[in-house]
Amino acid sequence: MKVTLISIPVRDQEKALKFYTEKLGFIIKKDMPLEGGNRWLTLVSSEWQDGPELLLEPGPNHFEPCKIYQDALMEAGMPYTQFDVKSVDAEFGRLTELGVEFSVKPSTMGTWKYAVFNDTCGNNIQIVETL
Amino acid sequence: MTLYEKEINRINGLIYSNQEQIETVIGVRSYIDHNFDKDLNLDLLSRFRFVSKYHLLRLFKKYYGLTPRQYLIDKRVEKSKEHLKNGLSVTETCFSVGFESLGSFSTLFKTKTGKSPTQFQKEQLSRSKLGSEL
Repeated sequence: MKVTLISIPVRDQEKALKFYTEKLGFIIKKDMPLEGGNRWLTLVSSEWQDGPELLLEPGPNHFEPCKIYQDALMEAGMPYTQFDVKSVDAEFGRLTELGVEFSVKPSTMGTWKYAVFNDTCGNNIQIVETL
Repeated sequence: MTLYEKEINRINGLIYSNQEQIETVIGVRSYIDHNFDKDLNLDLLSRFRFVSKYHLLRLFKKYYGLTPRQYLIDKRVEKSKEHLKNGLSVTETCFSVGFESLGSFSTLFKTKTGKSPTQFQKEQLSRSKLGSEL
């Protein structure tokens, strides 16, 4: 067995695609039509194209518990998932310029530096740098 | 303040209260990052931070979740991927990232990446060639 995919629930796949590619810098790996206008839409990191794919899944629109869980995480400020970056400060600067909103500015916790932003698709996302 | 921030602050106070230990492990990790191509061992690392080697081993594992040796190997494999992508030969790559035997390098590389260094390099090079042709 291999781990090749992680999924992120999004309310609007097209909007998510724009945010994750244009702001965060991911690139499209797969885009296949499914029923009802839904897509199997996956992205990869541009600097690690062999790495795991990120599935932007429209779960919250089709399965109420998914929406409730997503809303509860958002409300609590909890990240849905996290991405590794070389420099949290540099990414914070770059993303802030692009209009991305951070709920947690770059902070240090022991051997980690982290920050949390809103992906505009219903999730808080954390970026992390190992010190 | 969100619930998440409150929780993070609470946990931070509990598990990251020993600043001296944190500085020690950050220093050792950074030393490995800058010297992964040299002959590193626990004795050397512990002398460098003035702590006993077993203490250092425990500390590193406590804060990073893996031993300095495992971290060093991951670092070397990650660097060797870069070298192979850039067209360095398998032998050159092996020695330039600090491995001492070609055999153990190949075995480790395959365990960590699922491919032998030669296979990995072939795929990378044919991929970049394909990319420029299509």
